[in-house]
Amino acid sequence: MSTLHILSHSPFSDGRFSSCLPLLGDEDALLLSGDAVYALQPHTAPHQQLNTLTSSIALFALEEDVSARHLPAWPARVKLVDYPDFVALCCHYDRVNTWL
Amino acid sequence: MNRSLLIICRQSPWSSLQAREMLDIALTGGAFDLPLALLFLDDAVLQLLPEQQPSLLQQKDLTANLQALPLFGIEQLYAARRSLTERGLDELSLGLPVQVLDDPELKQLISQYDQVITL
Repeated sequence: MSTLHILSHSPFSDGRFSSCLPLLGDEDALLLSGDAVYALQPHTAPHQQLNTLTSSIALFALEEDVSARHLPAWPARVKLVDYPDFVALCCHYDRVNTWL
Repeated sequence: MNRSLLIICRQSPWSSLQAREMLDIALTGGAFDLPLALLFLDDAVLQLLPEQQPSLLQQKDLTANLQALPLFGIEQLYAARRSLTERGLDELSLGLPVQVLDDPELKQLISQYDQVITL
């Protein structure tokens, strides 16, 4: 039974990111959208925390939000997705936990 | 068969209306016999402090709503141990009987419900 967690707030100004990570189960996935994609910024603590997550945890980011912010790079394990992929992911996992 | 719901509240009690609105969701769900549970995470554990005096802030007391939860059939009440520890709270002196869970138990808890709302 796996959960797709969705974050949309900046990890630098908000506690959702750091609260969410310890609650990710081994089969769970994390989707970064909106300002949450700033967690992909290289040489930052959030970027480092993403890299230390168990490898079985799938990481996704909305390509539109990443491109709009012109982020230079992201960890290899992060898969960029579009909106149809976003919908498919929501259907794939048993439940969706959006950190509103 | 009703789908089970876990409500994760992260809001402190008096700085906004969100804590109250979250409790309203819970009580409404309880009134309709939804199988639901409530998890107090992050600043929401501050709602559990006893003897708060919100009238000094011209606010209505949430305590009555919290105490009403079991009356509405919401007996699955949980709090995150890490959130309590970070805020210097003692789980034995809380104003509401809650089950305190570590991170691994929280992962397990989330996976037991059909739906999750985090506010």
